[in-house]
Amino acid sequence: MNKQQRSRQYQERVRDALDQPRLQDALHRFADAYSLARENAFAGQDFEALRSGIAAMKDDVRANLDRYLAEFTAHAEAAGATVYLADNAAEANAYIVDLARARGVKKVVKSKSMASEETHLNQALTAAGLEALETDLGEWIIQLAGQKPSHMVMPAIHMFKEEVAELFGRETGRSEPADIEHLVKVARQQLRQAYLDADMGISGANLAVAETGGLALVTNEGNARLVTTLPKIHVALVGIDKLVPRLEDALDVINVLPKNATGQLITSYITWIRGAVPCGDGDKELHIVLLDNGRRQLAASPHCRDALRCIKCGACANVCPVYQTVGGHVFGHIYISAIGIILTAFYHGLENAAELVRACIGCRACVAVCPSKIDLESIILHLREVLGDKEGIGAGKALVFQKVMRNRKLFHGLLRAASRLQKPVTRGERSIRHLPLFFSGLTAWRTLPAIADTPLRDQWAQLPQRVKQPTYRVAFFAGCLNDFVYPELGHDLMRVLNRLDVEVSLPLEQNCCGVPALYSGDRQTAIALARQNIAAMLDNDPDFVVTTCPTCTMALQRDFCELLGDDPVWAERARRLADITLDVARFIVDKLDGQAALSGDNDTVTYHDSCHLKRGAGVWQQPRALLTGSGRQLVEMAHSDRCCGFGGSYSFTSQPEIARRILGDKLRDIEATGASCVAMDCPGCLLQIRGGLEKEETPIRAVHTIELLAEGLDS
Amino acid sequence: MPPLTEQFVAALRSVGGRAVTVTSAAAAADYLAEHLDGALLLPTSPSLQRVDLPRALMAAGVTLLDVDFRSRGATARGGLTGANFAIAATGTVVLESTDEDVRLASTLPEQHFVILDPRKIVADSRAAAPTLRAFHEGSPRCYLAWITGPSRTADIERVLTIGVHGPRDLHVLLWEGLSDDPLER
Repeated sequence: MNKQQRSRQYQERVRDALDQPRLQDALHRFADAYSLARENAFAGQDFEALRSGIAAMKDDVRANLDRYLAEFTAHAEAAGATVYLADNAAEANAYIVDLARARGVKKVVKSKSMASEETHLNQALTAAGLEALETDLGEWIIQLAGQKPSHMVMPAIHMFKEEVAELFGRETGRSEPADIEHLVKVARQQLRQAYLDADMGISGANLAVAETGGLALVTNEGNARLVTTLPKIHVALVGIDKLVPRLEDALDVINVLPKNATGQLITSYITWIRGAVPCGDGDKELHIVLLDNGRRQLAASPHCRDALRCIKCGACANVCPVYQTVGGHVFGHIYISAIGIILTAFYHGLENAAELVRACIGCRACVAVCPSKIDLESIILHLREVLGDKEGIGAGKALVFQKVMRNRKLFHGLLRAASRLQKPVTRGERSIRHLPLFFSGLTAWRTLPAIADTPLRDQWAQLPQRVKQPTYRVAFFAGCLNDFVYPELGHDLMRVLNRLDVEVSLPLEQNCCGVPALYSGDRQTAIALARQNIAAMLDNDPDFVVTTCPTCTMALQRDFCELLGDDPVWAERARRLADITLDVARFIVDKLDGQAALSGDNDTVTYHDSCHLKRGAGVWQQPRALLTGSGRQLVEMAHSDRCCGFGGSYSFTSQPEIARRILGDKLRDIEATGASCVAMDCPGCLLQIRGGLEKEETPIRAVHTIELLAEGLDS
Repeated sequence: MPPLTEQFVAALRSVGGRAVTVTSAAAAADYLAEHLDGALLLPTSPSLQRVDLPRALMAAGVTLLDVDFRSRGATARGGLTGANFAIAATGTVVLESTDEDVRLASTLPEQHFVILDPRKIVADSRAAAPTLRAFHEGSPRCYLAWITGPSRTADIERVLTIGVHGPRDLHVLLWEGLSDDPLER
């Protein structure tokens, strides 16, 4: 299948998913309940310390994998287990099928194992003429439905009780009422005899402890205890990433895993198994199949290897706005959501991850809750670069990034020309409400701002600088949106900072921050732009560099350092720029303590946390301090730090329909506050949210915080 | 009630387990007779044997099954085991279950009764590590069960439902003076 066909097929699946409002509603409600339960479960615990501990432990295992594998194997074998190391899925399946044949096995009962989903073990067993029965309730449901899991922890989260009743009715030959308690009872009765009849039980494991050679299983239903007790043979299929050095390490994972997965303090059962334990009249035969299947390759990738820290809690899905919108079947392969994208690339091939890589909106909600401190977004960005190199980023984008953006004068000249050419559709207004022909989809659900008549850079020299004895001299990194779409934000920034005795300059050699190129997979353009911007911004040795766009902030603070890390001269300059760059809200509060010096009306305002500001730059208290410090009433909206669905080109070209739904969620949350105004600190969010509110013709204003502060100067 | 016991009981109840204090074999047997509506799987337990619990149970009219659990597990209504120790923070009882009968008694029937000496409650999972290690050092083959409340699932529409494949009821009988050795069940 070529790239175009693949993308087209994927878009069809997205559209089908978007037509399932009941599923979206269920996933949204689940996300709310989950977040609350998780918060309660971690009450009184230091999540940052816990996850740093797990990350360090997992990194040690990765660095010393062979030693821990040898230690685990020796201890497991000494206790009577047989350990087999499978390089890939086919080897793992062949080992289990051969074992079953050699022992005359007819029936296999399974407890939940994502590793067996990864290797497609059920198909291999069935093809060999064996009966394989899933006993985890969710897994049994999807086995009966002939589907694959849509969530790592709750495999059948996409199904409803009516569908389950229908499936169970086919098994029992009766009509089963769609009553959950009843359906659970049916599962208990239907599966009970199978444990006793089966000749082999297959489980996964959450932990393999090198110190003891034992396994630990973290479960709720009790089926894993039956699967590992009743049949004569127990096969545990375990990824080599499940190794931990000592019992204490296992306990640390067990402390965090249920809390982060479901908000439980602990699951009903933690089952520790070492060796060939008694079984019936004799001893059990225990086989541990340790699965590589791409894990060592992942360990060898400097950009991606942190993903091996994953403890499979599924939290990255629970909080993901894309997952909540389209579900795990569309935003996943076997493994789903953010971690699923990365694992798919290594375990099932990059081509199976390609569409998923582009379906991530980059909001970093997953990064904030990851219990192993994996920077999932950065790894996904890297995979986007790898795909960009491999498949190309598309002729149109390549032309824009490589031929236009790298040449600042040409890029800015074209933007100025576009400002003139747009006149027929803007009709002189600041917002475009309808676009003609095949562009019309872009303004079906949000207005788009017009490109300003005169960009900020062409106005700057005329703007009066009202400061006599500046305490600081700062350089303003405007970013494209601020410069060419919202130049008034630049005026406001200068007026507010002048009032606080800060002199502001706008270095004219600054260019696009490079994020659009980087996020599209064009690293070389991003590097070229990083150099241009570092030279421009450090030129007059400012005290600080301030921004109004958190995505630009992340580029200056984080991406430039990473892009130029291998170049000793530029790396040092990138570091210097990173050290003095900060978002304007943080600058005013942290450096000037200026919140009390600003005043405003006592409007009721709600605040939207931009993804890259809160979870990228760690700034969320400062804008609130500015709003309340200047006399405004702040009413918090629900999900204030949930993505607005902008995502740069995500909402224009990659996944506009997903972006539209995510925006819809945000608008509902804003409207529910009753506030007359929603403030934010990102021109991208402003474009998205203002566009959505204008299209709905609500009276609620969307503003950048700096605009509100400037309004206060007039009153 | 000592703070650790109090914490244990609160955590256990919050996940749907039941806790009751008993002070004699006769009281424990009466509790079972009252709550159990069928035969009881009773695997060998040194601490329970020592206090003559099996006899007290029979005296209270409980039908005991002490052999052939695999075939009789389907008809038994309950299982009774001792506990090696417990974890206060999560309301967890820990059963050294290498003996298959202990596993069967605590997985097959709908009701599971556990007798725990509250002196064996530790604060949290980290405090359980030394005992966990001692079990592994004591025997090459080792099956340990941490049990926290009844069997549960939320696999259909995320609605919490009790008693899917394991016991629907978990009763913990707190009996001080039974045994203070976590290696003994």
